[in-house]
Amino acid sequence: MTAPLKIGQTFRAAPRAMTRERMRWYVDAQATAVANDGKPRFGGPTIHDDDTYALSQGLPGIIADGMVSTNWILSLLIDTFGPAAISHGRLQTKYVLPVYENDVLHTQAEITALETAANGQRVTLKVSCENASKAPVTVGIAEVLLPDA
Amino acid sequence: MATGKYVSDLEAGDRLGPISYEVSAFTVREYCHSVELDHEMFLGIETPVAPPTLVHLDKLKLYEAACPMGTGPAARVHIEFDATYHAAVPVGTHVDVVGVATDRFEKRGRTYVTTDIKMTEARTGRALVDYRDTVILSYTGKSGTGATQ
Repeated sequence: MTAPLKIGQTFRAAPRAMTRERMRWYVDAQATAVANDGKPRFGGPTIHDDDTYALSQGLPGIIADGMVSTNWILSLLIDTFGPAAISHGRLQTKYVLPVYENDVLHTQAEITALETAANGQRVTLKVSCENASKAPVTVGIAEVLLPDA
Repeated sequence: MATGKYVSDLEAGDRLGPISYEVSAFTVREYCHSVELDHEMFLGIETPVAPPTLVHLDKLKLYEAACPMGTGPAARVHIEFDATYHAAVPVGTHVDVVGVATDRFEKRGRTYVTTDIKMTEARTGRALVDYRDTVILSYTGKSGTGATQ
């Protein structure tokens, strides 16, 4: 970041569709990463990848794991602030509406506060993912500590 | 104490872990690939680091250790992610992780559990990530066998 930051400044990621494959990737990656033995794993059945199971749980279909949208927000923060976005800070996200197959999410982050910190500048942001109807599905806050140059 | 069987049995005060492991490049790459965190600092070979969202997997590892019989009778749904990160976590770091179920409460007929998780550097005890996770333990109350989040 070279230009001065301003309260109200908003950053947006390109829209992404929550496809069936994107939902399943997270399911299988969780199982694969937890096993940590170099072999791919199948993580289901869950409400994120198995229609029959999702229906049995009273859902109209599979829904996305909230961590997918949380990571899409994190990706936007990294694209905006660089490695500082994962060094010192906070990311809080709440999943307020289900994300269904092929919902298109719009991810954004808006600066709400700028403070001087001990070794840099603390940036506080309101973060969210909205669906195509502009309904927030994931909402929260992020804090990023930008170190002094 | 309600550990030893199902995640759905967890009660406030239940302690999960500790678990210890070395953050691996395989885990970081698999996880980040699945959520399209396509930054070279995650997927590459030079000084790779873990994203702070990877702490979500520690909840699953703690669940596996403390509740080996699985999720319970109905799907578990993730409601909130809240992580404060104190330092970047390079691949190769040995970490200790502990958790405690801090609250179990009813809201609109659903049972929620909040778990506080602390990741520290094993060698020094330095805090790396503090994570608060909130889930609905029984999304519909219907019977089922799958697991999620």
